[in-house]
Amino acid sequence: MVAEKETLSLNKCPAKLPTRTKLLAQQPLPVHQPHSLVSEGFTVKAMMKNSVVRGPPSAGAFKERPTKPTAFRKFYERGDFPIALEHDSKGNKIAWKVEIEKLDYHHYLPLFFDGLCEMTFPYEFFARQGIHDMLEHGGNKILPVIPQLIIPIKNALNLRNRQVICVTLKVLQHLVVSAEMVGEALVPYYRQILPILNIFKNKNVNSGDGIDYSQQKRENIGDLIQETLEAFERYGGEDAFINIKYMVPTYESCLLN
Amino acid sequence: MANSDVKPKSISRAKKWSEEIENLYRFQQAGYRDEIEYKQVKQVSMVDRWPETGYVKKLQRRDNTFYYYNKQRECDDKEVHKVKIYAY
Repeated sequence: MVAEKETLSLNKCPAKLPTRTKLLAQQPLPVHQPHSLVSEGFTVKAMMKNSVVRGPPSAGAFKERPTKPTAFRKFYERGDFPIALEHDSKGNKIAWKVEIEKLDYHHYLPLFFDGLCEMTFPYEFFARQGIHDMLEHGGNKILPVIPQLIIPIKNALNLRNRQVICVTLKVLQHLVVSAEMVGEALVPYYRQILPILNIFKNKNVNSGDGIDYSQQKRENIGDLIQETLEAFERYGGEDAFINIKYMVPTYESCLLN
Repeated sequence: MANSDVKPKSISRAKKWSEEIENLYRFQQAGYRDEIEYKQVKQVSMVDRWPETGYVKKLQRRDNTFYYYNKQRECDDKEVHKVKIYAY
């Protein structure tokens, strides 16, 4: 039946397309070429002989997530923070309107950490510098606030924005050395913090023998993550390594061996 | 030491970094000539210092806001020449 049909069509062709008749006549009858059918995997279509299964879509592990308005921005715009911006020759600096020692850390420190998600001036600057000052001068007031800092840290890392991750990692490095026992206090929260570090751990530029300037500026995420994990291990007590290893399997100890 | 109105007699610029220069730098960032003037203006007898390094830790500025300084050196080599040394 099929053959008959094809001959029929062949016979019809010369009338319509005189130029191509010769070619068609000389060539052997075309074998029915199944044009490939692109389909998703694991569907009924995918089991057909002529189907080509499309690869899986990218999961978007490195894709940046949209930002949400932060409480830090709201508070800053409302003028709730006792801070002012000072421009000096060296750059910007925060002038505190009250003494840091007298600040309520339970209220302010989580708010400043919330500002880590910010990427624009002046919010980003105030959050970064404010955290720096508060950690530097917090002493034993930092430790009790640790549980409240975890969610802001997790949110900031989860944005997967390179700049935000960089700043957050530096803040984490400062946090573990800011006071005694802070490193240990962070161990139970590795499950919240480390998954993103695991994703980005190998994010290094393979530039051959070229110069990667982000290394000089301490903006290379892979290196920063390695430094941060090492700081966690150093200050996290004896349980730190095994807990890090559980969340970041490729991490190797910097203390053992 | 902190007499009511001590006026400096001469001024020179710092050439090389030292711990003294570092502290002067911190006072001048906050808007004072040096420790003597700070104590005069603020009527305090002690300045907050880092116990580890002895650098100035906290200063209250003329508008009553506070400046906080790091434990480590803040005055880079390129800033040293901006520091003024007052002599009395």
